[in-house]
Amino acid sequence: MTKELITTRSVSFAVAERRIIDAVSISVKRGEFVGLIGPNGAGKTTLLRLLIGVLAATEGKIFLDGRPLEDIRLRERARRVSYLSQEASTVFPYPVLDILLMGRYPFLGRFKRESESDLEKARRALTYVGLSGFEDRYFNELSGGERQLVLFAKVLVQETDLLLLDEPTSNLDIKHQNQFFSMACELTREKKAVVAAVHNLNIASQYCTRLILLDQGRVAAEGKPEDVLRRELLDPVYETKTVVTRNTSTGALVVNVAPRRPAGSYPMPRVHVIGGAGSGINLTRELVRLGYSLSGGIAHEYDADQKLWQSLEVPSQVIGAFSHITPADVEKAFRMVEEAELTILCSFPVGPGNEGNLELAKRAGRLVIIEAGPEEEPRTFFSDKARQVFAALAENAEHMDYGQLCDVLESGKIFKTGAKKTRRESQA
Amino acid sequence: MRRRKTAVLLILIVLLFVAIVLSIGSGAVRVPPLSILRLILNGVGFRSIELPPEMQINIILHIRLPRILAALLVGSALAIGGVAMQGLFRNPMASPDILGVSTGGSLGAVIAVNTGLFALNVFFLPLFAVVGALLASGLIYLISSYKGRTSLLFVVLAGLAISSLFNGLVSAILLFSQQYEVSQFIFWTMGGLEGRMWKHVLLPLPVLLPGMAVLFLFTRELNIFALGEENAHSLGMHVERTKRVILAITAVITGMAISISGPVGFVGLLIPHLFRMLIGPDHRLLLPVSAIGGALFLLASDLIGRVLIPPFEIRVGIITAVLGSPYFLYLIIRYQRKGLRGFGYD
Repeated sequence: MTKELITTRSVSFAVAERRIIDAVSISVKRGEFVGLIGPNGAGKTTLLRLLIGVLAATEGKIFLDGRPLEDIRLRERARRVSYLSQEASTVFPYPVLDILLMGRYPFLGRFKRESESDLEKARRALTYVGLSGFEDRYFNELSGGERQLVLFAKVLVQETDLLLLDEPTSNLDIKHQNQFFSMACELTREKKAVVAAVHNLNIASQYCTRLILLDQGRVAAEGKPEDVLRRELLDPVYETKTVVTRNTSTGALVVNVAPRRPAGSYPMPRVHVIGGAGSGINLTRELVRLGYSLSGGIAHEYDADQKLWQSLEVPSQVIGAFSHITPADVEKAFRMVEEAELTILCSFPVGPGNEGNLELAKRAGRLVIIEAGPEEEPRTFFSDKARQVFAALAENAEHMDYGQLCDVLESGKIFKTGAKKTRRESQA
Repeated sequence: MRRRKTAVLLILIVLLFVAIVLSIGSGAVRVPPLSILRLILNGVGFRSIELPPEMQINIILHIRLPRILAALLVGSALAIGGVAMQGLFRNPMASPDILGVSTGGSLGAVIAVNTGLFALNVFFLPLFAVVGALLASGLIYLISSYKGRTSLLFVVLAGLAISSLFNGLVSAILLFSQQYEVSQFIFWTMGGLEGRMWKHVLLPLPVLLPGMAVLFLFTRELNIFALGEENAHSLGMHVERTKRVILAITAVITGMAISISGPVGFVGLLIPHLFRMLIGPDHRLLLPVSAIGGALFLLASDLIGRVLIPPFEIRVGIITAVLGSPYFLYLIIRYQRKGLRGFGYD
């Protein structure tokens, strides 16, 4: 039963000398849920079309159950391999039930009518995808998502061992996306195999047992989601900077595009962010979005802020987890603070471990302290010393809440000469 | 829906019967229905029933009946040709006349007439008509399969171009021919049923009827084309082969119909569309119902043309054009409003 259901042996497909698929050798076993990933134009759809035989390989061979694909009659193929196209709509108003019964076409002779059992299969499939009662609705009047589910039901009615799905959920909302993929997943438990071209890498990582990363028609990587969804593999293929993390709430791999500085922006002032415990996340993102160059620290290893700085390649001062900030650490971080035109102290709890951050803030040339807004947790201190140091440095700093700070950062007003003086004068 | 389908079918059959009786009865010489009944009853064995006058019998048997049969045959052939082409191209704008297949048939027939070949052998006229129609649908097939993809709006535009080209050729040949007659010109550009005798009708019959019957075997395939060619392939259908067969049969029956009546327009466009709205797109039902509907439409159009301004006759092609063109315009406007979706684009 673990025998390969479908195998390609260095299959290529070329149009006018251009190889859209280039020497691809893959195989799919029963019980597998294989996700084809890759950027637009990587050849995902073409590969699927080769697998159903709509396109004929210009080189190489495809084997279905060990037999060359072209030796198997079309009807017999259709009883083993089904296909869900990217999007299908009909011009003519066919009722949903008629569409589903088309899935029985490969089983019916020219003069044979659909039997009661065919009807039963169609109704069961419709119920399975959660659209019972849709039998007499017109297919072309359904929403894109419903249409996709109906076509999936049609694929189920075809009762094949191998299902090829071409970006099946590009039209679906997140609920239906997940419903769709868990249904496909369930099929693999019945010893069927699913191959799906997927754009959404996060969905792919969650459901697929194996991923194949295509790049310009070639297999760039193949394996378990955690082996394929790696920055060093994805970045060159997608030609963009990605960030792969584990979602701390679901444990799933999450692939995101790293935020990029706006291109062509004039040199922006340097800002140093002193944060911790996630208090600097929003600010960091905002600063990156606005194009400021920034530095961060001092932060503990594995701290949420530190992880963000690391993945965004923001220079930061790190110390070991749970260790105390030493004067030497402050001295090191001060070099970054010295270079920054502005230092921002986020609102995080201060205790003996990170009192050093307040010492660092005290030495900043120009300091902005973010005040907790009315709905946020007030700043907390776990040591008297921390409270005293903070009180001292608060006197010589500017105070804003997060919203105000974002406004002045966005307008750039904060760096206009004299802004600081006005503040001091008004205090005096 | 089921009740509606039965009702449509029943109404069609009743109307068809009424139209046949009226067609036998009306014209320059009126034949009362009672005479028809007497002729039929006598014919089926009730010898005691008095036959109607000799002249009436002659008019019925040699003028009216062949003309009626011609209308029925041509109407149903063009209508199911339209059903097949619309289904194949997933395009409610397609039909043998819009895509130039009818004009191709016309061109073939005109060549047969003008070269004098039609006088050598009675088979030449229908043969040439069929060859012309096949040529046109071959062109359509090549264009539609260009780069392996059927661009549906493109098919309609290409068809219109082919249609205009062939029409121009027909006009040119007729204008330069020595035995140029206005009636010939009108017949081969607009179509008509006047003067159709048994020989015109019976000759194509052995090809026309089996051809129509074969098309009935492909109704399930026509349904599956609705999902697109890729999906059709994945369901185990030989897409290109099926397309070729359906297009060829459509061309043959269209050519045969044209050899009877000339290129009568709009039947193949209007009838499938109308009945799809009434009974749904399932070709297993749409095809037979359209066949009856097309027959009725052409017979009724011919009847209207004959009785509207006696003693003159308006050619059936003019009547169908007058009825069909506004409908075609309505379709275009409707699809314009709905966007390209109506043309089969997703």
